[in-house]
This record gives sequence, structure tokens and C-alpha cells, in this order.
Amino acid sequence: MAEAWLDRAKADGVSAPTARQPLIETTALTKRYGPVVALDGLDISIPPAAVGLLGANGAGKSTLIKLLLGLIRPTSGSAIMLGLDVTSAATTVRERVGYMPESDCLPGDVTASDFVAHMAEMSGLPHRAARQRANDVLYQVGVDEERYRLIRGFSTGMKQRIKLAQAIVHDPQIVFLDEPTNGMDPQGRDEMLRLINRIHNDLGITVVVSSHLLEDIERVCDHVVMVDRGRLVASGRIDELMRGGGDIVVRVDGDLSAFSAALSARGLAPRIRERDITIPMNGDADQLFDAIRDTVVEMGLPLRELRAGERSLEDVYIQTVGSAPARDGNDANG
Amino acid sequence: MAEAPRQPYGEVYDLGYAHYDGERLGRSHAVRALIIYSIKRGLGIRKRWTSKIIPALLYVAAYSPVLIVAGLLAFLPEGVDFGYADLAGFISTALLIFAAGLAPEMLSDDRRENVLSLYFSRAITRADYLMAKVAAMTLLMATIAFGPPLLLFVAKVLLANSPISYFADHIGDLGRIAAWSALVCIYYTALGLLIAALVDRKGIASAVFIGGLLLITAITNALFDAMSGSLRDFIILVSPLELIDALTSWILNGAPSEMAALRGPVYLIGVAGVVAIAALVMYRRYMTED
Repeated sequence: MAEAWLDRAKADGVSAPTARQPLIETTALTKRYGPVVALDGLDISIPPAAVGLLGANGAGKSTLIKLLLGLIRPTSGSAIMLGLDVTSAATTVRERVGYMPESDCLPGDVTASDFVAHMAEMSGLPHRAARQRANDVLYQVGVDEERYRLIRGFSTGMKQRIKLAQAIVHDPQIVFLDEPTNGMDPQGRDEMLRLINRIHNDLGITVVVSSHLLEDIERVCDHVVMVDRGRLVASGRIDELMRGGGDIVVRVDGDLSAFSAALSARGLAPRIRERDITIPMNGDADQLFDAIRDTVVEMGLPLRELRAGERSLEDVYIQTVGSAPARDGNDANG
Repeated sequence: MAEAPRQPYGEVYDLGYAHYDGERLGRSHAVRALIIYSIKRGLGIRKRWTSKIIPALLYVAAYSPVLIVAGLLAFLPEGVDFGYADLAGFISTALLIFAAGLAPEMLSDDRRENVLSLYFSRAITRADYLMAKVAAMTLLMATIAFGPPLLLFVAKVLLANSPISYFADHIGDLGRIAAWSALVCIYYTALGLLIAALVDRKGIASAVFIGGLLLITAITNALFDAMSGSLRDFIILVSPLELIDALTSWILNGAPSEMAALRGPVYLIGVAGVVAIAALVMYRRYMTED
């Protein structure tokens, strides 16, 4: 029962987690491989949410997940997950955590049902409960009658579902999904994202999705952690990050070129986009709006629209990291 | 008259995913589960029938001599005996082939198919994983190494004129059987897992195991014949099959081979050396992080 887990957690010398604490918290977490710095003093705090771990390939996403799972040891710094230190209480933490690796990780000559049940037992579930849950969870991820077939014969999409099933079969509190849509066709990817949505929204499991694809993160996550070259570049709720900081959008009737030239003369950097003019939000917003208003008044133009546009997640990424992330699912991922 | 509302004859419920609030038995249960799972895999249980053939044949090969001998002893006049060392000669080949098949089954696939990343992210440690695999293989080897001589002992007790006094007089035999079985199991497990920790493909690992042992035995035999002096007595320590043969003769009172000129306890050092090398290789392969 849950109490037994808490007892083991206490035996590891750490107090049980409370609802107020973040589920994951790292302090100056650093991982070096010789001269290569994979993670550089990472301080993150992850609440119970659907969290996107966003960064280019090699940014340190997988290293972070492996550190949190206790698969590798940090060079320095610490990480607390579910109120427990991930290094000293690794096995206790892992009873309540699920992991779906990026790479192939399924044995060929075992049936899906046998394997997922075995993985449930490896997380501490009794034999009978493990078999029962394996069948239930496989059904939930869309592997039904096929579960008695050897995994060797499954398609990539089906294997991804089995990987997802083994990650949630023991009812974890947190599940890490490392590039879950990797190598899937558009339809399979769509279904996988829908499944991930359900895991968080319907089941209340905190999902940490690592991806280099913005679309995946935008679709399933409400929180994002952006890493670049081992450093944290942005972290927070996606809607808060996207609020503000976008371009100012102005729409007037009349000669757009003359209006644009007048704005430029005031030191702004207007861009004409179809019927609108957009001005980057650089510097004090009030001064920018005043300058635009004054220009409109001086030229006597009818003002139709003046608003601060929202940033997209892509804008946030570009503005913080400095380069564009991958946009579609077909790029090489290595 | 208004039509009565139809009773639905069946409804489809989406029962959905239910949270698990049953027992969580933790790390010790996980290790036990891994041992049982590995034993089943080793025997071909819940695998295709072809995977069950070799284990089944090996059990037949290991147990049939003792059944035949026990039957013969029942009809032969008293005083005719069949020693445990003779029986060990019969089952040693079965042990060798069993180890060649089992060890890669224990380690190779998990590494080649990257299943390790799933094991290591669950409620066990890397050391737990290795210990479970070692335990599973040693237990399986023991079913072939310990079972037949134990049956022979039981048969001898039951066929004796006075079973109780025979048992009391020969209790030492039981100790020797247990010691020998334990040592050969540990020895073959260590040798097998040493190869399986290095070779990813099961078939190749088995071939390297058998081929390697035969090759080293041939080379050391040739060296033994070519050399003279006291140094050649120590060649047996690097000759895996001759070493276990000498150990068997020493513990089970068999006739030692020409190469076995050292004192018994020295062979224990040879076995300990093999176990230490295997432990070191497994440590290097598994305990150091990615």
C-alpha cells in the first residue's frame, strides 16, 4: 500500500512528499563527461503538470532524465523527486516513477503481455496484480488482442505503445517520456500525443515529455522547461511565457509605406505584414505605444487596431535560445 | 398506447484506467521476480517449443545415468558400487552445454536489445540485477549438478541393508556432493557469465564459450606435454576443463588425471581466480554508468 512506500521512503531518511512541494527540484545539477559539460548548474522546479522538456538534440534533456532516474550520478548538485533524493533513495523513488526511453528497448521473443507484467513486478507489484494491470494498461494504449504476440512482430507504432504501457503499468506518480513520437508516422504521432494527454488529464499522472519538436510540447504540455547546451534558458507555464513580449500589431487605413516610414523616423522598427504593421516589443511598452499613437495622430490616419500580439512558443524559444527549434516531425533526430 | 421504453440489452462501459492502490512490495520482491523470470526464460517456459528442447534433453542426459545406475544397483550383488566421481563424469558434459546455453540467455539479450535501460529505471539497482542473474543461473545449474548425485545417494541409502546406519556412516558423502555441486555451479556460472557479459549475441556467446574452453584446453594440454619440471604442474590452473576435472577427483575421490598433480586446495584457488575475473568483467560492464 501507499503507507508501505512511505515507510520505505522514511527509511531512506527523507520526509514524505507533500502536495505543496514541487514534484521535482534540482539544485545546481551538473553532469560532466570528461571535458564535455552535459548539464551545467541546472536549477529547475517542476510542479504536478504536463511538462515539456524542450531543447535541441544534445541540449541535455536525456541526461537530465537519466540523472533524475538515478541511472547516472551527478558530478555535483542534487535533485529531489517526490520528496526524496534521487541518488540516495533511487530505488524507492523509482517505484513511483515510469520511464519510456527514446531508443528501442523491448525484447523480441516475449509477448507484450508477459513483458509488461514482468516490468510491473520489477516495480514491486505482486504477480497477480502485475498481470491484471498489464492487460488493462495494454488495452488502454490500444494493444488489445495483439498482446499475446511476440513483440518482435510489432510495428514501430505498436512498440511505442508497449513502451508507454510499461512506463505506466505500475501507476507511477511521474512518468518520463523521452522523445515519445520519435520515428512515428503522422497518424501514430497524433495518437501517441492523445494518449499522453489522457495520461495527464484523465489519470492525473505528472508527465515530463522530452522533445525537440515544439508542436508536440504545445499540444500536450501546460508547463515547459527549455534547456540549451546544458543550461536552463526558460521555465514556467506555457501561457505565462507566451504572454507579452510579442510584437505590437497596428492596423490603419491609408498608405502603409508612408506610415511605416514615419514610424522608422521615430526610431521604431516596423515591418509591413499584409494589412498590418508589426513592431517588435523592444524597450518600454508605454513609450512604444505613445510613439505609435502620436504618429497616427500626426498623419491623421484612421486607427483600426492597436494591440500587443502574443508570442508563440517558437518566439519564446528563439528569443531565449537564439536559434529556431525543429518545427516538423520529419527532421533527423539523433 | 405509448410504446414502453426499450430496456437496453447491453451497455458498453469505458472502464478506463484505474489507479492502483494495492500492495507495493518494493525492491526485494522485484529481485525475486527477476530471479523467477530468468529461471523460466532459461528453461524456455513461455517461449516457443524450440527453446524448450535443449534444456529438456540436458535434463534427460543428466538424470538418466543415475536412474539406470540406481536400477542396476538394486539387482547387482552387494559390494558393487558406483562412485559419485563416475557420475560426475556423466553429468559434466551436460553441465558444460547447459552453461553455454544459459549464460547468454541471462545477460546477452537484455544488453543487445537495450532492455537494461528499463530494468535500471525500476525498483532495483544494477548490482541487484546482476545478483538476480547470478542466482538464477546458479540455481538452474544446481538442478543438474546437485540433483543426480543426490538421487544416487538416496538410492544407495534405500538399497542398503541397514539404511539408517548406511546414512550415518556416509553422511560425509552428502557433504562432498553438496560442496562439489556448489563449486561446479559457481565455476560454470562465472565462466558462462564472463563470456555473456562480453558478447551480445546469444549464439555467438555460446559458441565462444564452448569453443574457447576446448581451445584453451587443447593449448594447455599441448603445453603440458611439451614442458617438463615442476612449473608444468601449475598449467592446470589455466586449463578450465582440466581444473574442474581435478577438483571433481579431489572432492569426490575419483582417479585424478595426469595433469592433476597439485594438492586439492590449490584447485580452489583456480576456481576463485575464475570467479574473481568474471566478477571484475561484470563490474566493468554493468556497474560503471553509461
